Amino acid sequence: MLSRILVPMDTSSHARHALTYALENHPEAEVTVLHVVGVPSMMMGEAVGLTLEADLEAAAVDRAAPVIERAREIAREREREIDTIVGIGHPARNILERAPDYDAIILGAHGADSGRVPHRFLVGNIANTVVGRSPVPVTIVR
Amino acid sequence: MVETVLVVGILASIFVGVNIGGSSTGIAWGPPVGAGIVKKTTAAAIMTVFVFLGGWTVGRNVMNTLSNNIITIDLTLSAGVAVLVFIGLGILVANIFGVPVPTSMTTVGAIAGLGLATGTLNHQTVLRIMSWWIVTPIIGFWIGGVIGRYVYPEVNRRVQIKTSDGPLLAVDSNGTIPRPVLGPNTTRSELASTTVVLLIGCYMAFSAGASNVPNAAAPLVGGAGGLQPDIAIVLATLAIGLGGFTIARRTMESVGNELSDIPLLAALFVMVTASTITTILSWIGIPISLVMATVMTIVGIGWGRATRPITFRDAVTQEVEYTEIVPGAITAEGMVGERTPPIGEDEPKEVLDAGELFNPKAVVKYVSMWIIGPTMSTVLAYGFFTLVPGVV
Repeated sequence: MLSRILVPMDTSSHARHALTYALENHPEAEVTVLHVVGVPSMMMGEAVGLTLEADLEAAAVDRAAPVIERAREIAREREREIDTIVGIGHPARNILERAPDYDAIILGAHGADSGRVPHRFLVGNIANTVVGRSPVPVTIVR
Repeated sequence: MVETVLVVGILASIFVGVNIGGSSTGIAWGPPVGAGIVKKTTAAAIMTVFVFLGGWTVGRNVMNTLSNNIITIDLTLSAGVAVLVFIGLGILVANIFGVPVPTSMTTVGAIAGLGLATGTLNHQTVLRIMSWWIVTPIIGFWIGGVIGRYVYPEVNRRVQIKTSDGPLLAVDSNGTIPRPVLGPNTTRSELASTTVVLLIGCYMAFSAGASNVPNAAAPLVGGAGGLQPDIAIVLATLAIGLGGFTIARRTMESVGNELSDIPLLAALFVMVTASTITTILSWIGIPISLVMATVMTIVGIGWGRATRPITFRDAVTQEVEYTEIVPGAITAEGMVGERTPPIGEDEPKEVLDAGELFNPKAVVKYVSMWIIGPTMSTVLAYGFFTLVPGVV
C-alpha cells in the first residue's frame, strides 16, 4: 500500500494523465504535486527573470500557479485533496532530492518541452533520469 | 560558369542573410517590441538602417579577416560560395532543431576547414580568433555577474520604465510653427526611457550589422567575378532586412518571449553589454557571435544575482538550521500569508535558493554548445575541400 506519492507535473498532457492515474489507482494515498519553475532554457529567460525578482518565493509561486491550479482542478473533479510543492531549477534534481520522502513517484513520459533539442541538451530526459536514479519505485504514465 | 557560381553564391548569401536577420532582429528588438514600445515593422525598418551602418563601417574589419587573413591565399569566389553553402546548411540544421548556431563562428570554422584542406591556414590568425572566443564568454559572464550582483539592484530601485496609453508625442499646431509636445499620457521620464530603449536597440542593431553582415558578404567578395565589397555589403544588408521584416516576426515572439521573462531594465543592460563586446571585437577584426555574447551576459546576470552575498540573517539561519534547509523547495500552500517572518521568529522550514537556478554545470553546457557548431563546420568543410580540391 502506497501512502505518500510524488507526482511531478509540467504543462504537458502526460503530466495530467500521471496525476489522474495516481488519484484513480491510489485512492487512499496522500498525493503531492511538484512543479518546477525556472527550468534551464536557451536564453535562460525564466530563470534570470526569477532571480531578479525581489521576492523569489512569491515569484516562483506566481509562475507555478497555472499548473498548480490545473492539478487542483483535476483533484477536485475526483473529490480529492492534494499537497502542492513549487521547486526551482533543474526538474530531475528537484524530483530526486524529494524522492526519499515518498513511497513512490508517478510521472508523465514526456514533458511539454522534451521534444526540443535545446531542452534535451540543457535539461535532459527527466523521466529517464528519475527512473535511473530514484531510490523509490517510479511509474511512468503516457 | 563564373556567372552560375555567382548566382548560387548570391542565393546562398540571401538565405544566410535572411536567417541572420531573423535571429538578430529577434534579439535586438524582442524586448522593446515585447514591452510595447515599438511595433514589429518599425523595429525591422530601424534594424535594416543600423545593420547597414554597422556592416559598412566596423563590419569591414571583420570582412577583411574573413576573406584575407584566415587563409594565406585570397578566398576565391567558388570557394567562398562553397563556404556560404556550409554556413547556410549550419543555419538550416539550427532552424530544424531549434538550436541557435553562432553564425560568425561557423563561418570561421568553414574557412578554416578550407585552409586545413589546402594547407593554407594562417595559424596565427586562427589562434588569435580562438583565444578571443574563449575569453569573450568569460568577459560577458563576469560583466553580467557584476551587473546582476551590484549594478542592477541599485538601478532598479531608482529607475522605472513605464509605457502609457496613447501616442508618445503629439504635435502642437497652435503656434505659428508646429512643434512636437508630449502625448496626452506621456510623462517626461517615459519619453526619456523610451528614447533610451530605442537608442539601445539601434546600438544592438549596429553591432549585429558589424558582426553579421561580413558572414553573408565576405564570401562573395574576392577573386575573379566576385562582387565589390560595397555591393556585397548592400546585398547582405537587404537580405538581413528582409529577414527582419519576415521571419523576425516569429523570432521576436520566441526569443522575445524568453527575453520578456527578464525585466526590460535587465534586458537593456544585457543589450548594452553584448553590443559593446560585439562592436569592440568586430572593430579589431575578430568575428564574434552576438547571440553568444547575449546569452553569456544573461547567464552572468542571473548567476551574479543568484549568488549575491547572503545577508547577516541568512548566514545565521544557515549556520543554526543547516541540516533543515532543503534547497529549492517551498510549499505553495504554506507560502500564503507567512512571507518573511520578522527576525526572531522561525524561518519557514524550506527555503528557496536562487543558486539552484544557476549551477556551474548548466553554464558549462552553454559554453559547450558554442563549440559544437564551429567544430562541425570545420570538419565538414575540411572533408569537402579535401574531396573536391578543384573548387579552390
